Amino acid sequence: MIRLNDIKVEVKNRTILDIPELELAKGKRYGVIGENGSGKTTLLRIIAGTLVSNNGQLKGLPSKGEMGYLPQSPYAFSLSVLENVKMAVLGENSEQSAKTALEKVGMGALLKSRGNRLSGGERQRMGLARVLALPRSLLILDEPSSATDIRGTNLIEALLLDWHRESQGTLIFSTHSPAQVVRLADEVLFMDKGRVIERGSPREIFDSPVNEETRSFLSHWKL
Amino acid sequence: MELIKQIIDLIFGPDPELRQIILVTLRMSLFSTLISSILGIPFGVVLGANDFRAKAVISRVVNTLLGLPPVVGGLIVLMLLSRSGPLGSLRLLYTVNAMVIAQVILITPFVIAMTANVVGVSSQSINETLAGVGIGGWRRIKYYLLDFRIPFISIVLAAFGRSIAEVGAVQMVGGNVQYKTRVMTTAIMMQTNMGRFEFAITLGILLLLISFLVNSLVNRIQKATEHD
Repeated sequence: MIRLNDIKVEVKNRTILDIPELELAKGKRYGVIGENGSGKTTLLRIIAGTLVSNNGQLKGLPSKGEMGYLPQSPYAFSLSVLENVKMAVLGENSEQSAKTALEKVGMGALLKSRGNRLSGGERQRMGLARVLALPRSLLILDEPSSATDIRGTNLIEALLLDWHRESQGTLIFSTHSPAQVVRLADEVLFMDKGRVIERGSPREIFDSPVNEETRSFLSHWKL
Repeated sequence: MELIKQIIDLIFGPDPELRQIILVTLRMSLFSTLISSILGIPFGVVLGANDFRAKAVISRVVNTLLGLPPVVGGLIVLMLLSRSGPLGSLRLLYTVNAMVIAQVILITPFVIAMTANVVGVSSQSINETLAGVGIGGWRRIKYYLLDFRIPFISIVLAAFGRSIAEVGAVQMVGGNVQYKTRVMTTAIMMQTNMGRFEFAITLGILLLLISFLVNSLVNRIQKATEHD
């Protein structure tokens, strides 16, 4: 179980994340939703360890090597696509692992292309390959298909479902797509003003939201 | 045409002075640029890629050193290397090595500041992406060096341009000694003071020509790197 207690992040006296208590079961898939600025990315960054909170506790995380975090706009280095992915893997088989991961995201034909010349969607797929080039027990993905076309989105979702089935790992992702939440998440966390104010299965959240903020937000979503 | 003939005569003529001046200039500029780049680029990457408590103070010091007048830099080196100075026993004053030391002091802050600025723009995104796959510490710096290799070439080129065009500090610590420490800028100044404007202009044109050739060479390297 991943446990967050009394985590608070403030920027210029404004609270952007306030988590008194949050428990996430291992092996489940969590979809984090909420308006822009509701704290989704900050929550993911705290769990991934790329942002450190000065207070509170974070327990139950796997080792760094078992965790993979994909930022919303992953950086594409001015190296070949293969090198961009290979950097995440150490050891003799790094090239083969990187190639396999790139083939899985449908980029097997772009191994020699320059990473920084890829489109936004290709960069996201390359970033996902980088994260998936090693076995992981926890994946944290910030809007993993925000820049991909429908084909890319389907490919990423199928890949994540395969990964989850094979690894039985924990998946935490944020999204602005209602359909993606339904397809990928076992449980939905709804965030508002830096707090997780409601959680439940996608059906529970979409059909019978408890909070007024959740209802208001979901009224703009069309499934 | 007369001017071109004069340049050719000076370069290939019986008097070795101009050839010696060009060689000393290149030796001083290349070595000082090389040392400044070896020191400044890694330091600039560390400064630009990280957030730490002393960063603001270090950045301010580096930016202050950017405004260091060359003659003041030259004066510091002169005092250090003079016979009664702390490094006087090394007997480096009025040698090319002294000129290189002065140039390194003047150019390194420039290389650090430029590198930190270039790297700093994308540092958050790079750090987050690398941390997301467990890459930190010195391995992270390696990817900065690889990713920004093309902008770094431009920084090295700009540093070389500064080095070859410097006059105040090299005059002070080099002494403009014929066949020994006379470089193109100090020679231009001396020839102008002596009223030998034609020779001074010839040197000026040669200085520009060397800069142009170096620029062209670096441009080719950049293009080749971009398309590999």
